[in-house]
Amino acid sequence: MGGAIGSAEPGGNTTMGKTDRRGFLKLTAAGAIGAASLTFGGRAATAQDQVTIRYGWWGGTERQQSYTAALEEFEAANPGIKIEKEFADYDAFQERMTTQMAAGDVPEIFWIASPQVLTYEKAGLYRQLDDIPTLDLSDFTEEILETIRINGTLNTMPNGVFVPVIRYNETFAQEDGVEIPTEDSGNWTWESFQQLLIDYTNDNANGRVGSTYNPTHDLTFEAYLRQRGEQLWTEDGQIGFTVDSLAEWFNWWETLREAGATLSVSEQEGVSPDWQLAGDKVLVNFNNSNHIIDDAKAFPDYTFKMRAMPVSEGAVEGHKYLYYPRMAIYQKIAEDKVEAAGSVVNYIINDASFVRTTGLTMGAPINPRVRQEAVEFASDDEKEMLRIVEADAAAQRNPRYEAPAGSNNWRTVMVRTAEEITLGGADIREASQRMIDEVAAEIERAR
Amino acid sequence: MSATVDKTSGRRQESLPAAPIASKRRRRLGRQEGAAHVFMTPWLLGFVFVTAVPLFASLYLAFTDYNILYSPEFTGLENFRRMVDDYRFWDAVGVTIRYVVVSVPLQLAFALLLAVVLDRGISGLPFYRGGYYLPSLLGSSIAVSVLWREVFGHSGLINQVLGLFGIEGQSWLQNPTTALGTLIVLNVWTFGSPMVIFLAGLRQIPADLYEAAKVDGAGTWRQFLNITLPMLTPIIFFNLVLQTIGAFQTFNQAYIISGGTGGPLNSTLFYTLYIYQQGFVSFNMGYASALAWVLMLAIAIVTAIHFLLSKYWVHYGDD
Repeated sequence: MGGAIGSAEPGGNTTMGKTDRRGFLKLTAAGAIGAASLTFGGRAATAQDQVTIRYGWWGGTERQQSYTAALEEFEAANPGIKIEKEFADYDAFQERMTTQMAAGDVPEIFWIASPQVLTYEKAGLYRQLDDIPTLDLSDFTEEILETIRINGTLNTMPNGVFVPVIRYNETFAQEDGVEIPTEDSGNWTWESFQQLLIDYTNDNANGRVGSTYNPTHDLTFEAYLRQRGEQLWTEDGQIGFTVDSLAEWFNWWETLREAGATLSVSEQEGVSPDWQLAGDKVLVNFNNSNHIIDDAKAFPDYTFKMRAMPVSEGAVEGHKYLYYPRMAIYQKIAEDKVEAAGSVVNYIINDASFVRTTGLTMGAPINPRVRQEAVEFASDDEKEMLRIVEADAAAQRNPRYEAPAGSNNWRTVMVRTAEEITLGGADIREASQRMIDEVAAEIERAR
Repeated sequence: MSATVDKTSGRRQESLPAAPIASKRRRRLGRQEGAAHVFMTPWLLGFVFVTAVPLFASLYLAFTDYNILYSPEFTGLENFRRMVDDYRFWDAVGVTIRYVVVSVPLQLAFALLLAVVLDRGISGLPFYRGGYYLPSLLGSSIAVSVLWREVFGHSGLINQVLGLFGIEGQSWLQNPTTALGTLIVLNVWTFGSPMVIFLAGLRQIPADLYEAAKVDGAGTWRQFLNITLPMLTPIIFFNLVLQTIGAFQTFNQAYIISGGTGGPLNSTLFYTLYIYQQGFVSFNMGYASALAWVLMLAIAIVTAIHFLLSKYWVHYGDD
């Protein structure tokens, strides 16, 4: 029947008669079987050679691209492991994780949003890590591992390290003749810093403002609490701060705002500042150390530097802390995938080529050796970030505890509390008490 | 089998007995019915697994304490009792009712006004119709929310215009008094969908009614009140029901513009946004399910009231 299948004869007729139609069907069936055997045979061959690991993470476009590139480099170097990349924006990632958890379809390796660390831990989502032969932990001292463990178990791994910082616009500081004190200057307290911001706002000739209004920034709030001997969360999963401390924190900010030393809520479009709107109007911003990398790119004409947080007089020893964004291997991972997943985590935490490709948007590497190696290829902003993290990593640090189950919405409650104070004129102490009561009630409900 | 003679052709025609004809017809109908079922299957599967099962599952979950990570625990009416003391629930109810009551009539009035203007046979009608419909497609998109910030933000268009008159404006989105208003304006702006339906309705009104009215000396306004509006009442009713249900379910705009918080000061905490917060932020899926069922009941009641009241003001052609 060669060439008879539907081939057009001159004149537009086809030669597909009854016999040919039968032949066509046979050929189609044979083709389908062939294709199927190729497809499934191919898959079977691939499945034998390759282990597929799903990797779920969040961020913006740049992080998606850089992490995808780094993971592809890993795949190229490890042909036996294929990584399915599951990326989303932060909010969308949380929603997807929620449904994936409900369906028992969680990626083998996934990032964990900080309010959910203990919620997931309580639900048994994390697999133990220190028994995976492909995950090398030899660069980590026992002291470091202890800060990573949750309830004594090494079942998550930081994919970066942040610290709370005061980030300032060095270009503005030079233009306006102001110097931001260093921690060891002896003049870097909350009170002196507050006065500096008020004076700067009043005195600078360019109409710039001291700071964004940012009482809802969680890392700096936690630094403030720890200096007072309190915590964000206690070891037994309760709120670790008092209404006095919360009220004083809001008071500190309200003093600044009322003096005109912060942007107004209107100017920065909310009680949490929009950096794109605020970046070229303020001298300082309260922030995570890693944010300098992306935020500085938004204003390439300016140079940004960072300082450690101001220190209260009489601050308790060991108030410094490192914040770990974490990832985990799913508890229900198939046994034959564990070593492959361990290899991926190993690559992320132990291989400097990973951070060379991704950049340091997720903060300083958790591995001290990689942190040192990263200095060689880091940008100026990244070097600034590494410097300040290294300093805090070297400091004495009291234990820090993760957010307990039920505290997922505490940031939303804090935003609303700040709105009540700034927009609703609520009494600071009463609003602070309401916030604590509301968060505590949610934690209690989750027990 | 019987035989008859065709009177025109004189040919003998053999007709099949009645029973085989009926059976053949039944077979054909049976085949058609089978085909119909085959074509309906995807929809039925979708309905059962994507709508019906989750619907009834959420009804069950509404009576449980369920946080996704653990099995649901039956708690009876506890979730519904909890709503009574939940001030954010009442905030959400208040915001949603204000939004529905203000934005739906405004949107319909605006859509009707534009439809009447466009119905006057102006040139370039398809262009205007498409142009006015466009916001309906974009209304709940990220792009429009960004646009809204550019219009209503602290340094937005409105404040820049006010600045020309020496008035220093504040961000309309960050003021609890005006934030909801900006979302109402956004909803009114997406009037394209009801407008197109009004346009179709206007085309159905017989022209001789207007001609007769003109002969009787009725002016444009009188014609609108006594002919256009009464003849359009079924369309107005249709749009009213549809837009009311849609307004109760508003989510995207508030989520994007408030960053998911419903702020400032809960002033844009729409009911659906609160359901989302409870379900996907706080993992209170049982409570979120109960909230969703209360919303469904509220929409059903409001729709039923619309239908009950419609007999007093909706005029159908056969009345």
